[in-house]
Amino acid sequence: MFQAYDHAESSSKTERQKWMALLARAPQPMLDLALTAHAEVQPQWLRRPETGLMMVQGRAGGTGERFNLGEVTVTRCALRLAQAADDAPVGVAYVLGRNHRQAHMAAVADALLQDPAQRADLEVTLLAPVRRHLLHQQAQRHARAQTTKVDFLTVAREAGDGEEGETS
Amino acid sequence: MNTEVLQNLVAGFDHEAYGSQAVFRTALNALSHPGRALDLPLNTALPRQGHAAAAALLLGLVDSDTALWLSPGLASSDAATWLRFHTGCTWVSDPSEAHFIWVAQGDALPELQSLRQGTDAYPDQSATCVIEVQSLHSEVTETGGWTLQGPGILGQCKLQVQGLPADFSKQWARNHASFPCGVDVFLATAAHIVGLPRTTRLFTSEEA
Repeated sequence: MFQAYDHAESSSKTERQKWMALLARAPQPMLDLALTAHAEVQPQWLRRPETGLMMVQGRAGGTGERFNLGEVTVTRCALRLAQAADDAPVGVAYVLGRNHRQAHMAAVADALLQDPAQRADLEVTLLAPVRRHLLHQQAQRHARAQTTKVDFLTVAREAGDGEEGETS
Repeated sequence: MNTEVLQNLVAGFDHEAYGSQAVFRTALNALSHPGRALDLPLNTALPRQGHAAAAALLLGLVDSDTALWLSPGLASSDAATWLRFHTGCTWVSDPSEAHFIWVAQGDALPELQSLRQGTDAYPDQSATCVIEVQSLHSEVTETGGWTLQGPGILGQCKLQVQGLPADFSKQWARNHASFPCGVDVFLATAAHIVGLPRTTRLFTSEEA
């Protein structure tokens, strides 16, 4: 679902775009584990978690005409950390599904990552595990798809062999 | 919206449903009783620019289907970002395209006739102006105030406003004459609003 995002010219994205893409896909248990200090604290809400629909657009082969693929359920929120100053960075999160808690924790992580002092820590405790988890998930999906793969070249060659056998 | 824009953002209504309902109720009251200065409930965090009552009123009225025009003093301010973040409204640069107009105190008011007037079939599609003024008084003793007449006013009532352009009453007479088309106006100070629907007739003290 994020194929194009992960592979094509991802070097042109800003650091924040990269980690927000990771946080959007991070499962809630991993977020909870890395952010235990913020689990029980109510942040200063700018926009409480709210669930809505978004239209996903696609292009055939990534280059064709845009078309509406369908709607997805998205939960979003925006917050400042508890005890943060009025001009502190704003944490924003958009996640698929209806899990308000996941959106909340992803926004907390986004707010923390904007603080250079915390970034290195979180890179190790949160982003690296999430990256590993996503790679693992992708590898599993790839392996599952591979089992149903049909190699048409081989089929063609076998057919050719058969014909040769008949003529000889 | 990028990080810098979000930097000074503040929260919206403390409780979205109750806050906006209270504002809407007050707005309805203001239009039902033209010329009466009403306390607007301010159950919301507020941006630094703009009058509190005007900001809260627009936060309650505007939504993602409405186009908003902001006077130059507000267009590049936190108030603009704040409204767009919380309501999802669109900004337009041409006042004649807007459903809602927010004019900051000290900024020039666009000619009322140049705004969206609605049509005879759909007079509700006209613009609503929120104009910030310096002060509003319903009880006028000195000269220079207005006398208001029309639906919602028993007999007549007085209103004294400071901070409107000198030719406002002339513009208003033309606006009233184009009924059922024409714009509706809210005048806002820091804490009060006054509604001036298009049905209201307005006389300066010399004419009365």
